[in-house]
Amino acid sequence: MITVRRLRKSFGSLVAVDGISFETRPGEIFGLLGPNGAGKTTTISMICGVLQPDEGQVLVNGHDIWREPRAVKQVLGVVPQEIAVYEDLTARDNLSFWGSLYGLRGSRLRTRINEALERVGLAERAGDRVKTFSGGMKRRLNLCMGLLHQPKVLLLDEPTVGIDPQARLAILEIVKELAASGTTVLYTTHYMDEAEQLCDRLAIIDHGSVLTTGSIEELTAFAGEGEVLRLRGRFAGDRAAVQERLTGLPGLRLLSLEDDAAVMAVEPDGPGLLAVLPEVLSSGLPLEDVSIQQPSLQSVFIRLTGRELRD
Amino acid sequence: MAAAHGTALHTGQAPEPAEPIPARTAPLALIRRDLLRLIRNPGRTSVHFAIPLVLAAVMVLVFGGSGPPQITIRLLVWNEDQGVIGRFLAGAGTQSGAGDRLDLVQVGPEGLQMMDEGDPASALIHLPATFSEDFLAGRPVTIELIKSPSQRFLPQLVQEGVSVGAEVLDQISRSFRTELSSLGSMLDRDALPAQVEVAVMAGNVVGSLHEIQRFVLPPIVGLETVTTGEEAPTTEASADDATTTDSQGSAMAEILGYFLPGLAMLAALFLAQSVTRDMMADREAGLLRHLLTAPVTAGQYLLGKTMSVILISALGFGLMIVLGMLAGVSWGPPLAVALLTLASAAAIAGLLVLLMSLATTQRQGDAMSTVVIIMASMLGGAFIPLTQIPGFLRPVSAASPVFWCVDGFNELMLRGGDLGGILLHISVLSAAGAMMLGLGTWRLGRSLRGGA
Repeated sequence: MITVRRLRKSFGSLVAVDGISFETRPGEIFGLLGPNGAGKTTTISMICGVLQPDEGQVLVNGHDIWREPRAVKQVLGVVPQEIAVYEDLTARDNLSFWGSLYGLRGSRLRTRINEALERVGLAERAGDRVKTFSGGMKRRLNLCMGLLHQPKVLLLDEPTVGIDPQARLAILEIVKELAASGTTVLYTTHYMDEAEQLCDRLAIIDHGSVLTTGSIEELTAFAGEGEVLRLRGRFAGDRAAVQERLTGLPGLRLLSLEDDAAVMAVEPDGPGLLAVLPEVLSSGLPLEDVSIQQPSLQSVFIRLTGRELRD
Repeated sequence: MAAAHGTALHTGQAPEPAEPIPARTAPLALIRRDLLRLIRNPGRTSVHFAIPLVLAAVMVLVFGGSGPPQITIRLLVWNEDQGVIGRFLAGAGTQSGAGDRLDLVQVGPEGLQMMDEGDPASALIHLPATFSEDFLAGRPVTIELIKSPSQRFLPQLVQEGVSVGAEVLDQISRSFRTELSSLGSMLDRDALPAQVEVAVMAGNVVGSLHEIQRFVLPPIVGLETVTTGEEAPTTEASADDATTTDSQGSAMAEILGYFLPGLAMLAALFLAQSVTRDMMADREAGLLRHLLTAPVTAGQYLLGKTMSVILISALGFGLMIVLGMLAGVSWGPPLAVALLTLASAAAIAGLLVLLMSLATTQRQGDAMSTVVIIMASMLGGAFIPLTQIPGFLRPVSAASPVFWCVDGFNELMLRGGDLGGILLHISVLSAAGAMMLGLGTWRLGRSLRGGA
């Protein structure tokens, strides 16, 4: 449904997107996972035709967004990262305006608005001005506007930023239902748990490039990850010495080291977690806490980028 | 949350096939949205009308709400001439009518010192000792006028009045030369003139008056009187008619009629500013970027916004026209008023879209457009009558669209003009509006194509 080929965009000397390519399948939720500034929003902006790429091509349902923008935009729904609603208008006014841009009118428009408001739980507040809404309600209305014209392809750019867990869960549920009904979803996030919970497949991006693409199982297998040891301690005093001792531990590979934390991967072909753990504890390092994590996107991300992806 | 039990947007079926969307859809939706936002924000909208209305109210209070402005001019008269003409002129200002507006103070040479010492008089008029004698003998005479430097408009008014008086005396001197010479010789004698001599002179004066009246006394002022139930207006009326129709209401309407065009323009400018401000707000809040993900092109967005600004400016203007009509103001022929209003709205839209295209942030656009609105309004005659604007600023005034709007309405309302009389105004406003709109939308379009 969405084909992105060697997309590239620079702003002056800053290369925001550097040759990104991926392809989504009909009815799947495809995630773009990466830290802030990785190039996710720039990529989305080029896919929906707001920003012209320097190089590359975007096809939606086989149509080039820059050659046939109207054909693409009619089947595309976009939920931007910003809450793009008119706060001085009511929820119904906002939806009515948005629907009319897609040629919806009369009873068809009213029906769609009512369904959409009901779906996101805003039916009772339809006549209230948006400025009286909570952050979560505004996010739901933002989502509602992207769904009103029943798009075949939906782009969601970090739609859960800054909202409470309950509202976040509700949005994730709606997205899952949309995908189940046949809508292709491209979902950007920097939340690992969201990506794990929601996405059928995902691309990890950093510094404007796709580091890897696949399902979570494929990614963890590809990265060859076993368990991960997360060490907390006071490493700032002599990091060089700490690094030397950590890299000397058998059956472990140092992934990252900071002033107060270190992350180490248990080598799949080594002696195993139970054998290496006593070595770590008796190493004499100034440790405060040790935790064990199962293979996850986080460890894949650390493996690929050498750093953690923080919220 | 209704996520668990709400109606599904998609119920497993494939989404409906997309239908082609007409190109006019987006601009019309944008206009509807802007109008809706005006309606949903009555407080904000009414402020744009309140500013000029408050100004109008202040003006009415300043000038007095019970009748036309009452201004008294203090004038010092130094009459060295004891002849008949000098006495006549010095006393003319105390006659009924003029006496209500003039505070004449007879002074001697000390009048000059009084002026120097800051007497509140607007001017001093000096009639030299041989004024009557020279005038009756047909010799050139001079009336000296010393204006107060501390006042601005009233001395100018006195100067205008004295120039008219001098012109009248000049014409009398030329037209009645023989009679004036006879009058001079009669006055020189100690004895009273013979009745026959007076009768002959009077007959000559009447004859001359009869000859010249068709040149110097054409009908200048007419009064159109309409009585309810009559079909055709009458064009002849006496001074008594004028006096009887002059009521408090018409005086108020007269004052409002003088200021309302400028204030209507000001209201329309502020109202239009709120719409163009949204263009920048849309951009800064990410709303424009979101809009362009829908089937809306940058050109359609700009077209919609431009049409919104024109429409809303015209509505703002229209509302002020209606308010004026309710207060008894007569705006002029409806077609001329409508065309002038539309042309003014186009000029307003052009000015504000151009200003917004020059700004990089909403804050900058706001500041810039507010300054320009105030300056254009002041120079264009929205706050003070065009006739009161200093001469050196008048060429600059003509660069303000407010000037062309106000002057156009003055032509219709005060000078009794019709559509033909304001074609130039309509053309200038329309052309300036089109030019500024073209430049503004070109700049905005270029900027949007570079990334919303």
